[in-house]
Order: sequence, then C-alpha cells, then structure tokens
Amino acid sequence: MNDATIAERRRTKHRRWLRHSNPYQNPRPHQPTLRFSPTAWAKLLFLRDLGPTEVGGFGISAADDCLRIEDVQLVRQSCTCVTVHFDDAAVADFFDSQVDQGLPPSRFGRVWIHTHPGSSATPSLRDEETFACSFGSVDWAVMFIVAQEGQTYARLRFNVGPGGSLAIPVAVDFSRDFTASDHAAWKAEYERCVMTPEPRPPAIFDGWPADTLPRTNEFLDEEWADFFGWPDDERELAYRHEEFNPSEPFAEVVHV
Amino acid sequence: MRILFINNDGGGFADHIEVANGTTVQDLFDQQVRSGKSHNYLIRVNRMPVPPNQVLQDGDRVSITPTKIEGAS
Repeated sequence: MNDATIAERRRTKHRRWLRHSNPYQNPRPHQPTLRFSPTAWAKLLFLRDLGPTEVGGFGISAADDCLRIEDVQLVRQSCTCVTVHFDDAAVADFFDSQVDQGLPPSRFGRVWIHTHPGSSATPSLRDEETFACSFGSVDWAVMFIVAQEGQTYARLRFNVGPGGSLAIPVAVDFSRDFTASDHAAWKAEYERCVMTPEPRPPAIFDGWPADTLPRTNEFLDEEWADFFGWPDDERELAYRHEEFNPSEPFAEVVHV
Repeated sequence: MRILFINNDGGGFADHIEVANGTTVQDLFDQQVRSGKSHNYLIRVNRMPVPPNQVLQDGDRVSITPTKIEGAS
C-alpha cells in the first residue's frame, strides 16, 4: 500500500467520523440514549395530544436498562396550556403503588416527563428548578420534554462521583417486543389524572354571593373593566398561578 | 422494630429496615436522607402525612417522596 492510498484512507475515515459526530443524528452504541418502547412513545404522544394543556408523568424503566422507557405513568396533576403541577400526595400514592408492584424507585422515579406547547422543548426556568430541587438528591435522573410539534429534549444528570449532566439523544426502540396500544385505557388514565382548574374570580369579588359572581372568563370581559372604571392603560389582565388545591381553582386576575 | 421504608433519595430504596424503639419521623429522615431538607419532601406514615415528631411503630410503612414537581413552558 503506497502513501497516497494510506492518505486517502485517512481522509475517508476522517470524513466518516465527522459524518457520525452529531450524537443527535447518529447515536453511537456506547452513548447514553433515552429509548422509548414504541408503546410508551405512542402513549406519550396520545396523552400529549388528548387535551389542550401540558401533561406530565414518570417514565417506567426496563428492569435491565434504566434508560429504556417501557411505560409512561401519569399522576394526578393540575395543568394549564403552559404549566403542569403534580399533586404531592398523588406522587406519594404513585410511589406506593409502584413499590406494591415490586418495582424499586430507580425504575419509576427517575425519568420525569412532560410536554410543552408549540415547538420548543427547551426547559424553562421552572423546569430547571424542579429538576434541581425535586430530582437533585437522587443518584441519577432524566428530564425529558416533548413539544407539541415533536421536538424533544432529554438531559441526564448524575449525582455520584464528580457529578454532571449531559443532553442525551432520544430514540424509539423497536428492537424488543412491544405491546399494542390501548387508547381507551390511556384516555381513562388521562381523565383520572389531568385536571384543568377553572380560573378563580379576582379578589375584588370576595364576599360576593356565589350566584352573582361572573362565570369563568367573564371577568376578563371589557364590560367588567368598564364596570370598575379601569383606565385603558390598566386593562391588561393576566393570570397568576398559586398553590394548587383541587377544590379551589387557583387562577386570579391581577392588574399588570 | 421493623418498618417498610420507601425512599427515593440516593439510589432509591424500598425495603424493610430495623429502627430503634422510639424513633421519630424526623429521626428517620435525618438518618436516611442525605440532603436533609425535609421541606422538599412529603413524608407519610401508612400513607398519611404526619408531623415530624410522630414516633414510629413496628410495621409502619414510611415513604419519603419528592414534592413541587412542576413544569412550565
């Protein structure tokens, strides 16, 4: 083999390395990859698209591979089109039920999944806070986000040794047997767990008889602003989210 | 005495453990949870929230689970 041939082979090898160097396009076998079973992926997309709100849950890992998600389980949660809030007691109930089924916490409490509206799966500040506070004391955890338009984001954080975190690719794993879809059961799970609290009238209505309160969103009407004499430049209304209480819808109107 | 302890902290744990008589919920939390910030957890005994000074009984089921899991876009 002459020098020209060796040089050409080196260039070819380098070009091949460059072509495969994007982990999102070509996950390598040794690289951590969050892999969903086709059934789990179908369920997640079904739940994402079932309602107008965000939705979240926990990924159930395979017994022999913690980054292979075989199921997505919802817990009781309060959702809006831009937020999702798990009920603390429901999370504890979920842990109890999974332990009763014989699963260790490392299989059901490590992969936090939720959806985003629109096209961005980039984690928000609140996502980061949750990942740091609620999943910061476990040996490893994954935050996974799938956006309405299909974009995904997964980050693996490990807290052993030097610690660290890295974005990891996401894939659907067809290499094993998988079960069929069950839309009826998935829908029942969604309806059991996902709650969308009604907005609460603003504090200015405190003390009003219930039958005289404006119904949902009526207090956003311009007529109410007229009624209260708000100046035009103060009529921008916004919802402020407070502590979730299923019996007490948590949004109220505030002046901006 | 022997209790069932479910703890998501560290590597995760769900098994029976031995604890000394008179151990309170706060004692158990201090012994088992590395971060030591109890306000970040929901601590339940026999599936019910309890005060930190509750004394554990033989056969109790204690779970320490994360709270404030919320996302936004």
